[in-house]
Amino acid sequence: MNPAAPQDPRPIHVAIVEDDPDFSHALSVVVQDSADMRLAGCAATQAEGLALLAGPPADVLLVDLGLPDGSGIEVIRAAALHWPSCSIMVSTNFGDETHVMRSIEAGAAGYLLKDSSPSKMSDEIRSLANGGSPISPIIARQVLARFRHAPSAPVSPAGAAAEATDTAEATEATPLLSQREKEVLDYITKGFTVHEIAGLMQLSHFTVRTFVRRIYSKLKVTSKAEAIYEARTHGLLS
Amino acid sequence: MARPPRLLGNLLLLFSLAVLLAAASLYLDNDGGHGPAASLHLTQAGWQETVATGYTAPPAEVDSANLPPAWQLVALPFSPSIALLRQAAAGAGAGATGQVPPGVRISWLKVVVDGLPVQARLLALYGIRVKTDGTIAVYINGKLAHQAQAEGPAWNSTRTPLWCTLDQHAGSAPVREILLRLEHSPASQTALSSLRLRPANVLQSAYHVRLWLQQQLPAMLSAAFMAVGVFSVFVWLRRPQEIAYLLFFNLAVTSFLRGLHFYVDLPVENDWFAWLTVNSLFWLVLAVHVFLCQLHQRPLVWLTRALVAVTLLIGVLTLPVLAVLPNMPTVTPLVYLIAPVMSMITCVAGWRHSPEGRLVVYGLFACTAMGMSDWLLQNNIINAEGWYLGAYAPAVCFITFGVLMYRRYVDAIAEVERVNAGLAERLTAREAELETSHQRLREIELRQTISDERQRLMQDMHDGLGSSLISAIRSVERGNISDERVSQILKDCLDDLKLTIDSMEPVEADLLLLLATLRFRLEPRLEGTGVKLLWEVRELPTLPWLNPSSALHILRIVQESIANILRHTRATEIRVATTHGVDGVQVHISDNGSGFDVAQALGHAGGRGLQNQRRRAASVDGKVSWQSNDTGTLFTLWLPLARAA
Repeated sequence: MNPAAPQDPRPIHVAIVEDDPDFSHALSVVVQDSADMRLAGCAATQAEGLALLAGPPADVLLVDLGLPDGSGIEVIRAAALHWPSCSIMVSTNFGDETHVMRSIEAGAAGYLLKDSSPSKMSDEIRSLANGGSPISPIIARQVLARFRHAPSAPVSPAGAAAEATDTAEATEATPLLSQREKEVLDYITKGFTVHEIAGLMQLSHFTVRTFVRRIYSKLKVTSKAEAIYEARTHGLLS
Repeated sequence: MARPPRLLGNLLLLFSLAVLLAAASLYLDNDGGHGPAASLHLTQAGWQETVATGYTAPPAEVDSANLPPAWQLVALPFSPSIALLRQAAAGAGAGATGQVPPGVRISWLKVVVDGLPVQARLLALYGIRVKTDGTIAVYINGKLAHQAQAEGPAWNSTRTPLWCTLDQHAGSAPVREILLRLEHSPASQTALSSLRLRPANVLQSAYHVRLWLQQQLPAMLSAAFMAVGVFSVFVWLRRPQEIAYLLFFNLAVTSFLRGLHFYVDLPVENDWFAWLTVNSLFWLVLAVHVFLCQLHQRPLVWLTRALVAVTLLIGVLTLPVLAVLPNMPTVTPLVYLIAPVMSMITCVAGWRHSPEGRLVVYGLFACTAMGMSDWLLQNNIINAEGWYLGAYAPAVCFITFGVLMYRRYVDAIAEVERVNAGLAERLTAREAELETSHQRLREIELRQTISDERQRLMQDMHDGLGSSLISAIRSVERGNISDERVSQILKDCLDDLKLTIDSMEPVEADLLLLLATLRFRLEPRLEGTGVKLLWEVRELPTLPWLNPSSALHILRIVQESIANILRHTRATEIRVATTHGVDGVQVHISDNGSGFDVAQALGHAGGRGLQNQRRRAASVDGKVSWQSNDTGTLFTLWLPLARAA
């Protein structure tokens, strides 16, 4: 159960916000059993989760959406603000489109299915910490649709130029998906795995995972722009 | 918001009236009403009548001393009475023989002017009316100064004031005597208003006002009425069923004809013109009668017939070609007497029937009274300075029918507004009704959808999740099951549940997306088994009929197929491919396992899985088939591109 840990001098600090004691316990065990991970904190409610953010930032934060005193979305938002370097992950039973999309829009970079095996869980945490993000076909389709309907998208040359820039998160303007990002999403909707896509596009599978992370951050910006656009059309902002 | 337009309107009205007043005052001022009042108003004259053999041109000079000394002193205005019957008889004789009546009469009127107090270069002699059927000549100090009607009276002669100017240059003698020579037939009579002798510029305004009121205004009124008539005939052309508009045109035309003699200066001898003007009066009465009938919607057959008969009779009798009656003014006074009788009868008939009819009757009554007054004036019963009121009859007509039209127009606008309001109300009601029924339909639809979904999920739970859980519970209760097996059953249940949820995600008619979702779900389960999944899907056309219900059927079919391979064959490879044909798409799932006897498996009681796949495929109008041998099995799911509704 303990995979060969890479010779990383700095372990991955994992914090957990989860009200289900069983899953919380299973997750703690996974983290403690991994030599390259440290459990940085545990919270069972929204309030505790928010309090956790006052402490030193973790590398990966796992958040459950259905907390007894409110939604985990609030915790994700606050974490994206207070712990900008932290990779946020939402834990979900089904990985359904509604929950995952809302979490990503709030700033999450991935999700963890609660029925995953312990090894799968540690893999996902590791992958996320290394800049990768999981994605399902339906989520990919939703993201594509979201960018197709993005309001007043500025015209920018798609392709290599857009890829070269590190992240579009900093810009306030609605970002566009690059041609290759679209290609990745398109393969995902057809059921190809990350490894297959890497083969088809002649990229490393790390790069493909990083593409998804970048797409997620663009989605966050887009959804923010959309919210502003909506507010403007409804006369809430002048 | 209603106030400023109102204020603006009032200002506009005031401005227009002011412009009109200014124009009128300029017109009158221009004639110089401010001169010295010193003038002569001549109200007494000497009168005598001489007999001549025929009409002659007036001589250039007449010395009043040479006329018979039979002067009678008369007051001006002078209107000797007329013997109508004698006049008609004489006229009839003249008409019948076509000869000049024996003995033309000449009326002489002598006015002596004592010490004219006016010292002006240009004097004017102004009389409101001179009436005679021969020539008119004016002698000043015995010399011919003015003559008119050299060819007999014109139709407008009795409406034309006498106006002659005298140039009083330095050497000329002052005016001492004014002598009027008026020729006329033995049967008819002359008439003369009082005379005024003043500087021309002082008299001019009175003369022009008189001329305007007696000739120009009637002409304008006639023309205006005619214009409205033309407008109304165009209305009738578009709406032929409304005969009132045509009648109105007819009224306008006849009253126009009737009014001609007020301002047209044709000689009286134009017989056809005479026939027209005389008869148009009767046509006018008849037209008003028909109009009234139209207004109150009662035919009054006998009255109509009588009026038509009289009108025709007079029309025929006065025809110039027949010459039964002469058209001379000598006869017409008697013919004219029939007209008021006709119009009075029409008045009485129209009176009782409708408020609108009554309005027309008032108008007709006024016009008749005006005509009567004209007749009295024409026949010297009213003095010569009176007014021919008949000239204003078109104005009365115009006002009467204007009021009628105004009422109808305003009523029509009110009606349109009422109808519009009603329409708007009905539209609102209808919209509300539609909204309600739409709402109800949506509710029914929603209920139906919920019920269908519930049915579908119930069925799915019953077949899969539910029965798996129940058998797991039984096994656990019996205690003859390992923890690992329980965990496996529960994992299968969770997979079933995930597929159920996936089937409800929007896949937008994309079968590949559905298959991709299935792979995404199954991949973790395949991981530990050592079985390799080869994903060889190709682009597929969309399936518009792909809804959550059919999506779940397809997911279950493919899921069952893969589960069968994992359960029953020792395959190491599963290949998933898609192809498409003209009318459908195919999903191929092949393995390299040991294969099975398809016929036996389908017939076997335990082969419920294959039967389920077949049933599910049929319920989306698809087909399933198996080809199996000992090197592997090929399962094919065929789905139609379109389904019958």
